[in-house]
Amino acid sequence: MPAPRYRSRSLRRTYKKTPGGRTVLHYEKRKPSNAQCGRCGGILKGVPRERPYKMMKMGKTKKRPERPYGGVLCSRCMREVIIEKARKEQEG
Amino acid sequence: MIEVGRLCVKIAGREAGRKCVVVEVIDSNYAVIDGDVKRRKCNISHLEPLDKKIEMKNGALHGDVVDELKKLGIDIKETKKKEKTEKPKKSGRKKRTKAISEGKKKADGKKENAKGPKEGKTEKTEKKKADAKTKGKGIKIKVD
Repeated sequence: MPAPRYRSRSLRRTYKKTPGGRTVLHYEKRKPSNAQCGRCGGILKGVPRERPYKMMKMGKTKKRPERPYGGVLCSRCMREVIIEKARKEQEG
Repeated sequence: MIEVGRLCVKIAGREAGRKCVVVEVIDSNYAVIDGDVKRRKCNISHLEPLDKKIEMKNGALHGDVVDELKKLGIDIKETKKKEKTEKPKKSGRKKRTKAISEGKKKADGKKENAKGPKEGKTEKTEKKKADAKTKGKGIKIKVD
């Protein structure tokens, strides 16, 4: 029987293979949900789904796409926003 | 809509939102663009044409495009080209080789020492005696 704190499913379970060949059960905190587009709510591609301590270790370019609104809007929404802006600027 | 001299906004990639000018139309899909972007071939579907058109030659040079855009009040961030730096001299490698050779020498010396005592017990004992003598002397000197 595992320790009481490990009996809830708030921690996810990962099976790790040890160098000696045994499989051991490890308890890890769950990953956060996927990053979403601020306009359409779709899942953002190119944004890793990791715990903050792992995100801290990553480079800036590994955390979001290298374009305006990267990591905030999806590429389709970004395109629409920029077209809108360009057309408004033309009128005004 | 896409023709030589047409002012456009890029809507895809890292240069999205920047203004550029069509310099050359390659075919129905691609055009060469220049301006506030790197001079490159670009898919026409990644361009949003504006109503302004600049008069320029087909395949105009980068400098001319920049001048024309500056007249329109579009600032262009010029990126400095990296100056060619001299490659570092290979002195580092030489040092390494030296270190290796020294290490080898040391290793050889150790081997010789290791071989010594195996040859005979008498030598070992003699050496031990000698060591003891030297040690004792050393201590005495220190005390003095």
